[in-house]
Amino acid sequence: MITYDKATKIFGAGAGAITALDNVSFTIEKGEVVVLLGPSGCGKTTTMRLTNRLENLSSGSITVDGRDIQSVDAVKLRQSMGYVIQEIGLFPNKTIAENIAVVPKLLGWSKADIEDRVEKLLQMVQLIPTDSYRDRYPAELSGGQQQRVGVARGLAADPEILLMDEPFGAIDPINREQIQDEFLRVQAKLKKTIAFVSHDIHEAIKMGDKIALFNEGQLIQYDTPEIILTQPKNKFVADFVGSDRALKVLGIMRVKEAMNKNPKNIVQGDTPAPEALKFMEEKNIRYALVVHRGKPTGYITRKDLKYEEGPVRDLSERFPTFVQDKTHLRVALSLMLMHDLILLCVVDENGDLQGTISYQNIQRSILDVYNDETEE
Amino acid sequence: MDVWNFLVDNWDQSLYLTWEHIWIVGLSVLIATCIGVPLGIIITKHENLAKRVINTANIFMTIPSIALFGLMLPVLSTFGEGLGKVPAVIALVLYSQLPIIRNTYVAIHNVSNPVVNAARGMGMTNWQRLKEVEIPIAVPVILAGLRTAAVMNIGIAAIAAYIGAGGLGVYIQQGIDRVYEAMILSGALLVSVFAILVDALMSLLESAITPKGIKIQRKMGK
Repeated sequence: MITYDKATKIFGAGAGAITALDNVSFTIEKGEVVVLLGPSGCGKTTTMRLTNRLENLSSGSITVDGRDIQSVDAVKLRQSMGYVIQEIGLFPNKTIAENIAVVPKLLGWSKADIEDRVEKLLQMVQLIPTDSYRDRYPAELSGGQQQRVGVARGLAADPEILLMDEPFGAIDPINREQIQDEFLRVQAKLKKTIAFVSHDIHEAIKMGDKIALFNEGQLIQYDTPEIILTQPKNKFVADFVGSDRALKVLGIMRVKEAMNKNPKNIVQGDTPAPEALKFMEEKNIRYALVVHRGKPTGYITRKDLKYEEGPVRDLSERFPTFVQDKTHLRVALSLMLMHDLILLCVVDENGDLQGTISYQNIQRSILDVYNDETEE
Repeated sequence: MDVWNFLVDNWDQSLYLTWEHIWIVGLSVLIATCIGVPLGIIITKHENLAKRVINTANIFMTIPSIALFGLMLPVLSTFGEGLGKVPAVIALVLYSQLPIIRNTYVAIHNVSNPVVNAARGMGMTNWQRLKEVEIPIAVPVILAGLRTAAVMNIGIAAIAAYIGAGGLGVYIQQGIDRVYEAMILSGALLVSVFAILVDALMSLLESAITPKGIKIQRKMGK
């Protein structure tokens, strides 16, 4: 847990003094990713650099797990926190393994422990097979691979706290998505306390449990991405998140939150066509999902069933795609548009039907989220 | 052919003078390195000193060697060392400072910001950062400075023969006095060969000491 209490940083003195951070107070809870977000010069990077005393506070305090950082030796403090930066800053004279081993070595780990740790981290950041990376040099790796090493190096001594300054900012968009996803997967397991600097609202929404939005040295709003998007505190926040924020909400909400868990229009695969037709006419539904042994196999319309005798699963149209309940609504909506479907089946890992999701479901869930704002 | 005959006839003296030359240059570069490299490193941490130190080294460089020997004469005479090897070595040490300090300063200074920032942020002390990161990265450029200093000193050491320091300059100086062409040419030839050899050796050393990762980085950068 990191607590900032009236943290203030003034660079220079007298007439030329610049207040980089002005009375900022907030708390990063244990195990949370907090994205420090804002335009350049807003104080986000200063906040991070104050945390490991690369800069020193002008006034106020920062405590880590209740301990004032000013009372801890700066070098020890830094060693206890992982540090990952945009420019990566791998040491070109050291191999990948040596780069990762820097902090464990400073902390005096045994050689065997360091070797084990390097192996584990290389696997964690997907530099596999590890043998083909361990003894190479940074210059031989691509930017994306180098940043994976950078992340592994930050995690090397298994710090509670990780400071990341636009860590994926210099990576091309395709690799960035991938490395962000990987990082989230790792973080879900490790549950580090992370201060993550970014200027990109998309990244903030994706990576942050909470977002701390800065402007001109002040903390403007500190909330979850949902609340930042749906209840921006003022015009600056609204402008910063953008007029397409409803679409951005789709990027954080998951299918689970919008899906219909008990779809009524289901027929079992071995039902004969006439019986299914009768069922659909009674319920007055135009189409039905065909489910066989718990797995959705396709859909049928009334037209498909007319004058037919056999089981419906032979008559049904196959679904081109499925989603899972943890899929983001943005992806679900995109799949609907691409495949020209008004409804998608939600399945679990085994392919068993969990529910359905339609345009209407998505629309309603967005409206629910924005209700508070429209009522104001 | 005269030169060849001269060298064959005087092989023992040639060998001795060459040895003397090596000795003067080697000692002066060694001392200059012990002063210049630490000084170059220190001024990277104290920017306000950097300009003054480099300017001072620059001034020594602009004084002609004969003039420098002359200037030192009254000072060193008070210790009874106005002529001979002592003033020669001192002059060579002074001349070496510029390439050594400047290259060390520039090399450490040019270690990229992200690397320094990462090293600090990860909790390296200044000393650890120097030892583990900055010096290994700077080593090729520092060695290039030593190489310049060594080659330059071989030339200047030849002039030191005029203040009785010995070395291969003796052939040149005495050759001129006696208008003995083969002797002058022999001295000049040996000094040149020595300079070329040292340059080649330093180049090999540079390549041997440069960390592998830095070599790869340079190759990829080109």
